[in-house]
Amino acid sequence: MSAIRLIAADEWRLMRRNRVAMLGLVMLLALSVIAVLTSIAQHDNSDAIRARFQAQADQAFDGAPARHPHRMVHYGHFVFRPLPPLAAFDPGVDAFTGNTIYLEGHRQNSANFGDVRQSSLLVRFGQLTPAFVLQALAPLMLIFIGFGIVARERERGTIRQLFAHGVSARSLLSGKALGLGGIAALMLAPAALALGWLVVLEGAPLAPSLALLGGYAVYLSIWVLLIVIASSLAALARTALMALIGIWAFTVILLPRLAPDIALAANPALTRLETDIAIKDDLRKMGDSHNPDDPYFNAFRERTLKQYSVEKVEDLPVNYRGLLAVEGEKLTSKLFEDYADKQFAAQQAQSRLTDIAGVLSPTIALRRLSMSAAGTDLEGHRRFLAQAEAYRFATVQQLNQLQATAITYDDDSNRNKDPEAGRRVRVDPENWREVPDFRYQAAATPDKLKAALPGMLLLLAWLVALSLAWRLAIRRLGATA
Amino acid sequence: MNSLWRHELRLFLRQRIAIPVLLLMTFLSIASVWAGMAEIQRQRETIERIQPQQAADVAALAKWVSVEGDAGNAAYYTFHATWDAPSALAFAAIGQRDVAPYILRIRALGLEAQLYESENYNAELALPGRFDWAFVLTYLAPLFVIVLLHDLKSGEREAGRIGLLAAMARNERALWRRRIALRIGSLLAALVIPFLIGAALSGAAPDSMLIFAITATAYILFWALLCLWVGSRGWTSVTNAATLVASWLVLTLILPALANLAINSAVPVRQGVELTLEQREKIHGGWDTPKEETMQAFFKVHPEWKDTKPVEGGFHWKWYYAFQHLGDLAAAPQAKAYREGLEARDRLTGRVGFMLPAVGLQTTLHRIAQTDLNAGLSYQDRIRTYHQRLRRFYYPYAFNEVPFRTADFAKAPQWVKR
Repeated sequence: MSAIRLIAADEWRLMRRNRVAMLGLVMLLALSVIAVLTSIAQHDNSDAIRARFQAQADQAFDGAPARHPHRMVHYGHFVFRPLPPLAAFDPGVDAFTGNTIYLEGHRQNSANFGDVRQSSLLVRFGQLTPAFVLQALAPLMLIFIGFGIVARERERGTIRQLFAHGVSARSLLSGKALGLGGIAALMLAPAALALGWLVVLEGAPLAPSLALLGGYAVYLSIWVLLIVIASSLAALARTALMALIGIWAFTVILLPRLAPDIALAANPALTRLETDIAIKDDLRKMGDSHNPDDPYFNAFRERTLKQYSVEKVEDLPVNYRGLLAVEGEKLTSKLFEDYADKQFAAQQAQSRLTDIAGVLSPTIALRRLSMSAAGTDLEGHRRFLAQAEAYRFATVQQLNQLQATAITYDDDSNRNKDPEAGRRVRVDPENWREVPDFRYQAAATPDKLKAALPGMLLLLAWLVALSLAWRLAIRRLGATA
Repeated sequence: MNSLWRHELRLFLRQRIAIPVLLLMTFLSIASVWAGMAEIQRQRETIERIQPQQAADVAALAKWVSVEGDAGNAAYYTFHATWDAPSALAFAAIGQRDVAPYILRIRALGLEAQLYESENYNAELALPGRFDWAFVLTYLAPLFVIVLLHDLKSGEREAGRIGLLAAMARNERALWRRRIALRIGSLLAALVIPFLIGAALSGAAPDSMLIFAITATAYILFWALLCLWVGSRGWTSVTNAATLVASWLVLTLILPALANLAINSAVPVRQGVELTLEQREKIHGGWDTPKEETMQAFFKVHPEWKDTKPVEGGFHWKWYYAFQHLGDLAAAPQAKAYREGLEARDRLTGRVGFMLPAVGLQTTLHRIAQTDLNAGLSYQDRIRTYHQRLRRFYYPYAFNEVPFRTADFAKAPQWVKR
């Protein structure tokens, strides 16, 4: 044990004297700090803006004047997706999804004004966030610092002296790994502090934060092991460097781009326009409210008349037009839900296919873990869309009900001809305040952890696979002693 | 002379690393060209596929609208398809085409609420960016240059041959020139030839193909020069490699990310949300504004309808379309500010491109391929023009109360291809 610690301490001493290594380390730490500070500032800023816009939209809705309820259905509402606190650590897909939706009757609009469409192509170079620094940059820095960690000793022949002093191959590699692991821990420190900050000051949930920290620790451990193994297997330090940079470029840069292309080609999803047309088509087949002799709406009328035991819609105790609106919205909303489910299923299949590439790239596995634990994965966006649609439906139906009960059929039918009726159909604006405000329900901690689990398992599998390679490296190194 | 080149080529190809590097570069280049062409083909097919669907949708609508012949209904319910066909070179630099919609349906209502609609795409897959030729060139090719050139001299020195080479060569400079030219030339060939084939198959114009090839060559030469400069410092191969990859990291990942951060905070764009909120207030306020007031405001911009019959009763379509348009006009200052914000971001990025080769390269390629932010904005411009044509098409029906029949649907302005 003490030999391991001695070797690690010796490695740290050497690194302190290595100007290149120190420069790299300081640069990475500086970048981490910049990333942490700007990410938190940006997060707080955009969250505040969204909250302000949400308040403005709520106020506009509540403060609307007396109107016909159906006009409020068309006036609609805006909802904004709040940012989860951990988005300051890993914003995930936030910039790539719209964060506001305009909700109105009969229609399902898209979430708009995502950052990616508001930025120049620079955004595609990657955003400087704590997650990006640790996912992409830290491994490369570790490679620079550690590629010669064993190979150098062999090139200089110092490895024979170590073996002659009775150091075993196992303690040599363990000591080196401990040494490099210490550096990795140092690289993780700003992120750990940032997570602590988010938990204490910004109310980030504890368990997902710990899962993030654990995930990144495992990820960096994977790289530490990979580097020490490569350095001990390579004949020359330069070969180790080349091989490691190759692995880095392949797993961090190339595969994360290649995998989505394959997934997209394998699971094409419908475009918005086609979905739109398909929904309208289905709707026409189910029942056409514009057709006075439509069988579906005729049956609905008969059913309603029977329910109230009257002969004509004029005799109903409620406004038949309101009932029709309720029924129509039910039909469209059901279709919206079905098509959205199909869309999400296709997208989930795409994402799952990409996740499989995590077998080849720990970065892909880590990204799944990171976005899911932070609540900034596609699922988070799906939740927002689903909740917004549920809210849209509830609001529209509340207003349609109001039309059915607060307005007479007679007034409603004559509102454009008779100015008196036109005045009577404008209901008390107090009713708008009774529509509840939108409250986004973020995923519960167990759900986030469950979504992060596959990524975590893949990372652990990587660790297990590398510990097998580790044994092999020890045996190879021992044989040269 | 010729035999000297042949000899050097043999020497280069005999190096353990040469053939794998060139093969890998060729493979990545072919794969990216193929993936890009497949994606653009998918987009073209989608544009083709929507045409009959769109026609069927309008036909179904015409069936019930033409019964009453109310032009207001026709304008309200007809969605008109627009699309942004990919340029011939879009396959090489897909850019924003995967996140910005390239097909959009609009109708003759207020445009600002329709213009910024998003496409249904999988954000998780868009996040890392597409695997296209521009990506291979920007990110991966420099690494290949570094692999081939970092030990050009230091490798010979470490092998103990450098003195011998200097003594034997008739012209030492010519020797290094040959070696560099061979390495860079073969790498460029591996990189550019698949692109040229793809571009020719896609029917690209020779001049834009040439600009692509020249830009790529200039970018590769930048990295070659950097390698030579680092190599001339007399460091070991290992130090050279580490220094060069660190430069790559700084120039292609870190500085662009920092620049993005700086630009986005220097030019905040919130007007997108503001303009939609504003437009909605104006349009829905239209219902509560006295009709005469609305019509007078509308006649200021469209005096040609001033002398039509005044609006009577609770509702008339011409009044409805008037306040729809007034909503757009009310949101125009914000829309302009929003657009200027986006253009400012794009302009600043262009300036960053003068300092960062990777950014400059991406800006150039995406500009020529018409897949950048600007191309998206010009698509929006064409939609604006088309929307105006649509309004002007429907107005005579609504204002003169001309019945709208099945045949009239076919008279609506069609989206013109670029």
